[in-house]
Formats: sequence, C-alpha cells, structure tokens
Amino acid sequence: MNRWQNFKAGLIKDNPVFSLYLGICSTLAITTTVNNAIGMGAAVIMVLIMSNVIISCIRKITPDEIRIPVYIVIIASLVTIIQMLIEAFAPALNESLGVFIPLIVVNCIILGRAEAFASKNGVLDSAIDGLGMGLGYTLAVVVMSFIRELLATGGCTITNPFNTAQVLLSFSIIPEQYTISLFSSSVGAFVTFSVLAAIVAHMKNKEADRIALEEKEAKKKEMEAKKQAAMEAKKGANVA
Amino acid sequence: MKILLAIIFLLVMVSIYIGLYLLNKRTPLPEGCEDLKADCEGCHDYSCTNNPAHYRKKEELQ
Amino acid sequence: MIKELCTLLVTSVLINNAILNQFLGMCPFMGVSKKRSSALGMGIAVVFVIFVASIVTYALYYLVLVPLHIEYMKLIVFILVIASLVQLCEMFIKKTSPSLYKSLGVYLPLITTNCVVLNCCLANISNGYGIAEMLVYSIGTPLGFALVLYIFSSIRERLDTSNVPRPFKGNPIALIVAAIMAMAFSGLAGIV
Repeated sequence: MNRWQNFKAGLIKDNPVFSLYLGICSTLAITTTVNNAIGMGAAVIMVLIMSNVIISCIRKITPDEIRIPVYIVIIASLVTIIQMLIEAFAPALNESLGVFIPLIVVNCIILGRAEAFASKNGVLDSAIDGLGMGLGYTLAVVVMSFIRELLATGGCTITNPFNTAQVLLSFSIIPEQYTISLFSSSVGAFVTFSVLAAIVAHMKNKEADRIALEEKEAKKKEMEAKKQAAMEAKKGANVA
Repeated sequence: MKILLAIIFLLVMVSIYIGLYLLNKRTPLPEGCEDLKADCEGCHDYSCTNNPAHYRKKEELQ
Repeated sequence: MIKELCTLLVTSVLINNAILNQFLGMCPFMGVSKKRSSALGMGIAVVFVIFVASIVTYALYYLVLVPLHIEYMKLIVFILVIASLVQLCEMFIKKTSPSLYKSLGVYLPLITTNCVVLNCCLANISNGYGIAEMLVYSIGTPLGFALVLYIFSSIRERLDTSNVPRPFKGNPIALIVAAIMAMAFSGLAGIV
C-alpha cells in the first residue's frame, strides 16, 4: 500500500517536471515531437531505475563524506552505456535528441532521487521510486509534446524508433491553414510549459484549500462538541 | 592494453576528484562566510543542500 | 578569420542563446533569479568555470583521449573534470579571497550540475572547433547565459510586487516572461 502510494505520488501530485520543476532543460528542448518525448522518457526511466538500484545497493558501504562524487561517477557511467545503446540501435533517435542524451548526467531528477530516496531506502523501494519518477517525467514530456506537435503541425506521427520507415500511428486533425508554427519554436515551449505548470499548481491549490477547510471544520466541530459537553455538565450539576 | 590504460586513466581522474572534494571540504571557510545562503528558493530540489527549503522541510518533518 | 570569430561570438551570445534558444541551465534560471545580486554572482561564477573547464577538457580530449583511442569515455571524463574544477576553484577562492568567496561561494557548488557547462565542453568537440573558435565560443556562451539571467532577474523583482492570477504565481508567470524574452531575442536572428 505504502509502495503504491510512493509510486503514484511521482506521477501527478509530486510530478518531477510540473510540480517540482526538476529536469526542465530537457523537457523544454525535446518536446517538439511525441517521438522524441517517448525516446527521451524511456532513456530517463532506464537510467533512473538503474542508478537508484545501484546506489541503494551500495548505500551501506559508501562513505558518507564522498557520496556525491560516487553518485556522479555511477550516473555518468550509466548514461554513457545508454547513449552507446541508443547510438547503436536507434540512430535516428540519437540524431534528433542530440546533446540531451549525454546531458541526462546533469539532469537534477536523477541526482536528486539518488540523494533524497535511494541513499536511504531498500533496493526494491528505490527501483519502484525510480520507475514512478521516470514515468512521471515521461508522462509530462509526452503530454507536452503532444500539445506542441498538435498545434504546430496539425497532427501527430509516431514511428518505430528502431526502424524509422515503419509508422506506428499517424493522424492529422487541424487543417494546415490553422496550425500555429510558433509552438515548435522556443516561445511555444515556454508558453506550453507555463500553462501546464499553472494547471498542476491550480490542482494543488484546490487540494490544499480543501484540506485547510476540512481542518477548520473539524476544529469547529470539536469546539462545539466541547461546548455542548460543558453545558451538559453544567446542567447536570444544576439539576443535582 | 588500451582497456587497461583507459581504466587507469579513469581511476586517476576519479581519485583526483575525490581528493579535491575532500581537500575542499576540509578547507575552513574564511571569516564572515560561515552562514552564506543561496537565494534559490525558486528551485524545488529539496534534496540540494544549497536550497534553504532543504532545512525547512526537515524541521517540518520533525 | 576575425570576421568569422566575431560572427561566432554574436551568435553564441545573442542568437543561439544558451537559455532562450537551447534551453540549457534552466535550473539556475528558475532558481537563482529572484534577486539581481544573486543572478550577478551566479553569472560571474558560470563565466569563469565554463572558460576554464572548456580549455581543460579540450586539451584533455585532444592530448589524452584521442591518442589513447578512448573517445567514448569523454562524458565521464568531462563531468569529472568539471566537478574537480569546481572543487579546486572553491578551495582556491576560500584561501585567497574571502570577499570574492562571499559573493560567489554559494553558487560554485551549484555549477557542477549545470548543463550549460557540460554542453559547452561537448559542443567544442562535436562542432570540431579549432583553438581560437573554442576560446570565443566558451566566452560567448556563458556571457549570453549571464546576460539573460541578469535581465530576467530584474524583471522578476518587479514581478513579485504585481498582482498575478493565483495558479500562475511564482514559476509559471516567470516562464511566460521567459517566452516573451525568447520572442524578443528571436528578432535578433537577423543580425548575422
């Protein structure tokens, strides 16, 4: 139950991108097409799970003083491995993501989770946390890239990353004269991100308001109950 | 042979980094700089020790 | 030659700006931009670290990694160089100039995980720059970063006192400001 909640928190409420503002460099840059977003999300999930598992495994033998250097070396090695794999098996994806694959090394999500979660929790919990956070990142980039691609090109195309000639899904709903090419540029990236972040902030605000209201009402009820009890006690004393 | 050289080179780099990290940690802060704080409250990475919210959150938890 | 270098400088500062065009260094852009003074400190620290890190990684790549045929290790080596350099700089400043440490000290450790630095070192290699081009590029990129960070922090100081719809308070409205700045900077693309 607790594990499930940890997993769910990373998806929406504590979404690393829209609510914690971690790793927004790559989010803004690679969300021009859904294809890129899925590829980047997969790479981040793999690195995040592996780094969380390894760091959690060695958490008891890592000297506390040099833990940050150790984490950085581990993460850099993992990213190099992933980059080589992508280069070998999905060269088109490597081309379109460009420098943002090596830049996963300095993505705050990964070092942040290593420091905040994996260094204190068991292997299984860390793996689940990595998966949850990674899926949260992927969800965020896929939603954002879908909006941007739809508004900029009027449709959406997903191809098989290992074989770019094979189109998995392609549709077009907005006629060409109504598309807004601004959304494929950097301005569109900032605006889309801002609006999505505002939506998440609104949801959070509402939740916080609701909790505050409930607490207030609970307090009020408690006070009333106390008053009533005091009155009754008084009455009882009078009758006696 | 190449692999061996690569591994030695990597080990040298890592040890230089760890050595410098430890040296830097043991260098005392100059006078008047004991409680400097970065103004990075806009960043939500609470695990970062530079973020003032890092300490606040811990206090709240206790 | 000189003309090309000037073009490269203008391109890296204004047109191909690290923050507004390449989306690099967004964390300090959102995090350290609430006050003008801290934006300035961060900017100077980034300029210094990128310049030194670029030279060291460039030399290491062509003098050690290429002769040994271990180019594939450049990512690990570069991140180690940057991280060591940050530690060395911090230690050096601590020992030599307390006043400089006062203004830059807290921003130096943050730079280890700043993507502008790593990207600049990697771009020097992947673009195949010569030494002169490398020097110009690794001055121009952090200057562009510092410039945009400073402008943004001045706007943000005003933003704090203005009345913003509640969901947009804080970072979302700051991103809208960034979008407008990106629009303004894209107008500069005609210079070159």
